[in-house]
This record gives sequence, C-alpha cells and structure tokens, in this order.
Amino acid sequence: MGKNIYEPIKCEVIDNIKESPTINTIVLKPEKEFSFLAGQFASLTVPGIGEAPFTPSSSPFDKEKIEFTVMKTGKVTEKIHELKKGQIVGIRGPYGKPYPIEKFKDKEVLLVGGGVGLAPIRALFLTLVETYKDYKKIVFCCGARTPSDYIYKELIFDQWQKLCEKIPLSFRITVDKKDNNWKYMEGVVTCTLDNLNIEVKNSVSIVCGPPIMMKFTTLKLLEIGFSEENIYLSMERKMYCGVGHCRHCMIGELFVCKDGPVFAYQELKNKPNIWV
Amino acid sequence: MERKYINQKDWQEFIEGKIGENKIYAPIEKGKFLFFEILNEENFKKVVYDKARTVEPLKIFLYPFKERVYPEIKNFPQIIVMGVTSCDLASIEILDNVFKNGDFKDPNYSKRRENILIISFDCKIPYDTCFCSLVGIKPYPEKNFDLNLSKVKDGFIIEIGSEKGKDFLKNDTRFYDISKSQIEELEEGRKNVCQRVNEINKGFDLSNIENLVGMYQTEYWENIKDIKNCVSCGSCNFNCPTCVCFLLEDTTDDCDFKKVKVYDSCLFPGYARMASGATPRPTLYDRYSNRLLCKYWYMKENFKILGCTGCGRCISGCIGKIDKRKVINEVLKEKLKV
Repeated sequence: MGKNIYEPIKCEVIDNIKESPTINTIVLKPEKEFSFLAGQFASLTVPGIGEAPFTPSSSPFDKEKIEFTVMKTGKVTEKIHELKKGQIVGIRGPYGKPYPIEKFKDKEVLLVGGGVGLAPIRALFLTLVETYKDYKKIVFCCGARTPSDYIYKELIFDQWQKLCEKIPLSFRITVDKKDNNWKYMEGVVTCTLDNLNIEVKNSVSIVCGPPIMMKFTTLKLLEIGFSEENIYLSMERKMYCGVGHCRHCMIGELFVCKDGPVFAYQELKNKPNIWV
Repeated sequence: MERKYINQKDWQEFIEGKIGENKIYAPIEKGKFLFFEILNEENFKKVVYDKARTVEPLKIFLYPFKERVYPEIKNFPQIIVMGVTSCDLASIEILDNVFKNGDFKDPNYSKRRENILIISFDCKIPYDTCFCSLVGIKPYPEKNFDLNLSKVKDGFIIEIGSEKGKDFLKNDTRFYDISKSQIEELEEGRKNVCQRVNEINKGFDLSNIENLVGMYQTEYWENIKDIKNCVSCGSCNFNCPTCVCFLLEDTTDDCDFKKVKVYDSCLFPGYARMASGATPRPTLYDRYSNRLLCKYWYMKENFKILGCTGCGRCISGCIGKIDKRKVINEVLKEKLKV
C-alpha cells in the first residue's frame, strides 16, 4: 500500500513577506524534500481552516525551502497572510503538468505576468535562468495595477535586471496607472507586447495573470502572430483533491489538476467560460 | 458461467445462517420502494428478490456520503450486499476508474471494494424511470458480481461470478445443478423484462448520444423548458451511482491535518465558485448541461465508458420532475436546428 494521497508534508513557516497590500510570499521549510517543476502546483493546508492549490513561486532548484506567493482572497488565503514564523502548515503534491520547457529549446521565450500571476512565472523564470543557454532569448513582460501593487519589487526592479548584462534577457515593465516616481511604461500589460523585438515564428509565450489579463494578452499574441499551440496559459479553478477525483476543476472534459494547470491555448479555445 | 439452483426456503435458511457471521444488507420494501437494510433474524424473510433497484445506489457502500481520508481508516468491516441490480454493477467500473485504477488511489475505496461481497438480483419489474436499455445495459447482471440471483418458480438460479462467490457457497448441498427447463424459464423471464424496459423507453432515443460532444453552448440548453424546473437540490447527484464529486473538509479534532471527504453536487451554484467569487458556471443552464455532458461525454472521454447506467434515480428523485431522457432528446434536436 502506497502513501496516502491526502497525507501532507509538514512545513515550518520561516518567513511571511508582505509583497503588496494584498499579496504575501510565505517561505516554508518542508520536513522532507519536496521536488517540483515550474508550473506544477501543491495543495497547501492551514490546519483546521482549509486547503487551497498554489503554484510555488520559488526556484525548483532550491531544495531547502519552498515559497508561495498568495493573494488574500478568501478564508484560507486570509489565514495564510496571518501565519507567523514557526507555525506548521501542510503541503501535498506536486500535482499537474509543468511548463513544457523542453519545447522551448532554441526558441525565444516570452513571459507575460500580471499581478499575482507573476508567481508561477517566477518559478519558470528562475528555471530558464539556470538553463539559459537552451534558449535564444528571454523577454519578460511584467504588469501590475500600480507600482505599489508590484510583487517581487527588489527582484524585478533591481536584481533580475542585472542579469540582462550576463544572459540574453530583457524586461518590459508596466503599470496600469503610474505614480510620480515610476520610470517604466504605463498601460495594461498588453502594451508591453507592442513593437516586440522577437521573431514570432520561433517564439513561445507563457501567460499568467487574472482571467481578463490572460484573455486580452492571448488575443494580442494571436494578433502578433503567435500560433495557438505556442501560447501557454496557467488556469485556475476551484479545486479540492488535486488528483482528478473530485472533478471540481474540470474545464469541459479536461482536468486543471491533471491535464493542466498549464495548457496551450489550442487545448482550451473551444472550452466553455475559460476566461473566469 | 457456473449456475446452480436452490429452492426459496433453503436459500432463506442459508442466508439466515450467514447473519451472525457478516453484516448483510438487502432490499426491504418500505412504501413503494426498496431500501437496503441490515438483515437480522426477523427481517430476513422480507427481502424482496423480484422487483427492481433500491433507492440507494451501490456507491454508498464503496464511497459513503462522508468519510475520513486522512489519517487513514484502519479497519473496514466485511460486508455482504444483496439485491444490487445490473445498473449499479455497471457503476463499479466508473468508481474503479476514478478511485482505484488511476495514478492516484483513494485511501479507502480499494479496501472497501475488497471487503464487499456482492449478491446481485435480476431486475424483474423495472420502474417507469428505468432506461438501462438506452445506455446498452441489460436489466439482468452479466458481470461485476460475486453471485447473482434470478427468481424462478419456487426458488432461485444462482450464477457464480467469482471465486469469492463460490467460496461463499462452500459446496453447500442445498444447491443443485440446473435443468434445461430452468434455463429456459430464466431466459424467457429475462427476455420479457428486456421487452418491458424497451416498452417503457419507446418514446426516447439515446442512440445518437455522442452528438452531445461539444455542446457546451448555453444557447442549446436555454431552449429546453424543463431545465427551468431544476431547483439545484443535488438529488440527482447524490442518488446517482456514478456521481463521484466531493469536497474536502479540514478539521483538527483528531490530528492537525484531518481531512474528511463529503459528497458535493455540481448543480449547487457554489460548486465551482472560486474564492474571488467568480464561477465558470454562473447559470442554471451551465450547471445542468455540465452534469449531462459529464455523464455522456467527459466520463466517456476520461474512462472510455459512459458515465450513466440508466438506473433512472435522477429522474425518480427529481423534485422538479425533470425527465433527463426527454431533455437529452430535446437538446439533441436543438443541435440539429442549427
């Protein structure tokens, strides 16, 4: 008899970082190694409160700790924001299919992340940086509503930009509404896709963000010339089991938990209400 | 398949002798319907062998309404369930595919499955809501049972479906080889019941059910008047032998990470609603159509078998009096109009 699928790995909270007014990153130390690939997700339990699925935002290469960037939205996420150092939570997983980075080989990789959607993109970005020689270049488009809504401020505005000197990487950064100190673009994230210096036919795009952002980004990418199979979306649905039993996360006949959460737009385009 | 005959009195005594050994559930009539009851020295003679399916589906024994999944339940009792009909035997294949055959195994299901002995019965008097014939299932069991009982004159023909079933009979001398005339009686009886089911369903046609594939669009479903009568009570889900949806409750009463699995219903407006308040199925039509598409398309796609066994519980239990067969026939016509 194998391990119980509902048995969580206990994790100690080692930090709870405020990223923006509504988003925190919790840093966990699992009691035993928890390996995942970028794009896969885990179910995180706050004891006695509930469980919810999140894609880790930390590097899959970091075997010591695992991070989740979480927006305060409901009962479980509210408690996650209140977690104190030393408290114990549970994670189980990893579940679902990761980003198919083997398909990105020798391609130009366009990352588009909006708001808390930058979280899964961060895990992917850190993976791509480790293996940057496999790709022609990486273009990272970031968006948020206002400068203070940005998550990973230190990384995006400082540390990661320094990498541009060493590897074929560039950033396009925008906010819907700027303030006086803002030195990047202004406009919704799709505006970062104007005049892109990429060879569309040899590119893949990865999009994660709120549904409305993913919808318009996808439409824009199609307009630019991306094919449907080269636009990867991270889908979110109500989910309990994470393993294809409870059927809550189904989009048509597809399971977000098993067939996703990463889908090519091609797989989703005829499915009902995908932009929710 | 090995077949034996036993007269009714001998069978009742045989079962009476098993009462102390195992917990035996069997159909007992209450009002007009059959319900599973635990057999005891008093009620074992009241078991109904020659009617139809029970009100409760078989899944209540394999996948109960509410059960702990973590920490693991250690001991599951050996049980015997009598009176399971062919429609419910078919549901085992869906349940196995969901909880047992995939990469991820439910912690309890397989153990419950190992600890059950199924003694099925032929369906003799199908309800008006029965439609097994429309989904390719016979009203008499053909597989997935340990023993099957068919009522014939003065007794039963017993079909032995598994080693476990054979062991249960333990070479008891009260079982005899069957005669040619008994086989004829059995076959004639079965033929009549098949005809009866066909007769009940003569106004319906699910032979082109695969045309439901791709019918997500609300426009088709909005034109079906009967769907408006759905009050989202979830009766069709909870009574369905193949509906498997559940939610997980977290509590800390036994340990920090106790998880309890509880049935959920895809007809409930909150079923797919996310913490943000957004839901991919905002209208009744989205939810109702999702249930039918799940039965006749998604499960077929997921497991290569239809997710409906034609038991008709979703029809007989519907307080909105929706006849699913009629809805399907109407919606398929809608598609042809376009």
